[in-house]
Amino acid sequence: MTNVDSEDPATEVTGVAGTAAAAPVAEVPAPIRPDGLRRALPWAVGLLALAAGFGLQTQLYTGQERTVTTVFMFVGLAAAWNLLGGYTGYASFGQVGFFGLGGYATVVVMVHAHLSFWLALPVAAVVAGGFAALVGWPLLRLRGHYFAVATLGVAEGLREVMTNLPRLTGGGAGITIPTVGPEAPTRWLGNDGFYVLFLLLAAFVVATAGIVASTPAGYALRAIHQDEEAAAAMGINTTVAKTLVFAGSAALTGMIGAAYAFQQVTIYPERLFDVDITVLMVVMVVLGGSGTILGPVLGAIAVAYASEWLRQHFTAGHTFVLGALIILAVILLPQGFTNYVRDATKSRRFSLLENVRRYRL
Amino acid sequence: MTQLVQAGLYGLLQGCMLGLIAVGFSLVWGVMNVVNLAHGAFVVVGAYVAFELHDLFGLDPFLGSVPAALALFVFGYLTQRYMINLVVNAPIFITLLLTFGLQLLLVNGLILVFTADYRSVPTRYAADSLVLPGDVRLPLGRLIAALIAVGLTVALGYLMRRTRTGLAILATGMDRGAARLMGIRARHVYALTFGIAAALAGGAGAAVGAVSTFSPADAGRFTLFSFVAAVLGGLGNTSGALLGGLVLGLVEGIGGQLLPGTLVNALAFAVLVVVLAIRPQGIAGRAFYASRVEA
Repeated sequence: MTNVDSEDPATEVTGVAGTAAAAPVAEVPAPIRPDGLRRALPWAVGLLALAAGFGLQTQLYTGQERTVTTVFMFVGLAAAWNLLGGYTGYASFGQVGFFGLGGYATVVVMVHAHLSFWLALPVAAVVAGGFAALVGWPLLRLRGHYFAVATLGVAEGLREVMTNLPRLTGGGAGITIPTVGPEAPTRWLGNDGFYVLFLLLAAFVVATAGIVASTPAGYALRAIHQDEEAAAAMGINTTVAKTLVFAGSAALTGMIGAAYAFQQVTIYPERLFDVDITVLMVVMVVLGGSGTILGPVLGAIAVAYASEWLRQHFTAGHTFVLGALIILAVILLPQGFTNYVRDATKSRRFSLLENVRRYRL
Repeated sequence: MTQLVQAGLYGLLQGCMLGLIAVGFSLVWGVMNVVNLAHGAFVVVGAYVAFELHDLFGLDPFLGSVPAALALFVFGYLTQRYMINLVVNAPIFITLLLTFGLQLLLVNGLILVFTADYRSVPTRYAADSLVLPGDVRLPLGRLIAALIAVGLTVALGYLMRRTRTGLAILATGMDRGAARLMGIRARHVYALTFGIAAALAGGAGAAVGAVSTFSPADAGRFTLFSFVAAVLGGLGNTSGALLGGLVLGLVEGIGGQLLPGTLVNALAFAVLVVVLAIRPQGIAGRAFYASRVEA
């Protein structure tokens, strides 16, 4: 599950690439990879965490179970956002569009075609991923804020389109997926069922991220993040790499959206295309540490838990406090928790105040 | 036909206000490379300042836009100086998140103080309208608001091009390192820029309060409109942002007549995405930051 060490090979690889460019005759060393045990360890930890997730279920009462299910959902969403935003540095602020698209693909499959949810899940992934590939092709040429705003526009536009197709989506009034009785294509899974579903989805997304990060594809993405022109010069087809990872990230998000739609039963465009969901993903990834496997997981758990705790203890002003916490966390830990810990243990500098000076004007 | 002219006129007046809101947003984006997600919240805060002043002293909301702008200038200056400046060199999503946190803080603070009810600041004349030939009506309040918007945008253009402060802002936006070497205090200039943007938003907010209803929940909508208008006009280009606002208002006004439901919003976002993909420098021409490589 964790592969924090993979940062080192990444920098080494670019270093190697640099010398290779200077002296093309120099022998090309074998790809740098952690040896067997170090490669297996993160996966073992991941499996243990998955088992712990199943174990935890037996200890929870219903209310807690729903909360933890939401946490799992955000773990999956944050890890999916991190694939593009963390590794390549392209901040998609329209990620919720793919979430909603997955949800509405489920509606079409289950309500209009009367087919099983288990078919809707892959369909949602294909629809969201395909749509992302389609819009990603032109939009991924944009950088920085331009890309962020363009994706935001795509998501907002999608919401408006869904709101204005009442025959297909029920419009603003929402649509209900039949989950009980004879006309239900798939029975509602129950709290226990959704707990397992979201746990497995989260594990799947995190495992996908782990695989991508430890293969040459991951190095290519990080190279794009550090210097796109240099990456292209080294023979990485940046357009294809970016589009593929954008589509992959969207497909995973779409699957989670499909599961969410089924769990909620009645869905509205306002809820499924809520900008706050995108922002929460970004908050989680940034606070946890972008570009790592563990970061988004920790960030999602921390933020989702904090948000839930605040909701219970400060009913009126919980969003107010959440806003203050985001500001504080962003100023104190702009590079994210895992990156901070890694740098701090290396350099033996733990001062948060020193950390604040990093990006100060 | 009358209906279309009416809708177009209405859209243009509305567009002037959207333009004024977008001008500050565009300025901050162009000079500091910060996308201020709290910009819409500043507009709403301005509206509430005007509302309170009217409530307490019976101050006319259009006059109230002056104290609203002053209050937001101070708030914006301090926010940039002591908060955003701390992370201004960080990757882009850091500043996005910071301003989003600020937006949550402001909007929910307003909800706690004023509740989420819709309000408006009443005046005796804003609802009156001038009847033009062809039975087209020109609402007086919106006309005043639009005139204020155009006047402030022109004033900002003058400030940016003709005064030392404005030139310092432009210089810092073009090359911060070089500007600092010339003795410009970048921290102060950044804070000033953000203060000016917040002041424009606050002043616009007071005018919004006079001509329509508002609630804290509108903040996100204003931010999105600023996005679209700023992108349409070309970033950092102040008169471009006004133009972008006019185009947006016109599209919303006339499109709202021709298209069913709220499909006109989808159209606005489609325009945004297409303009970004094809002409990132905006329809108005050269943005002063088109060549910047963003990190």
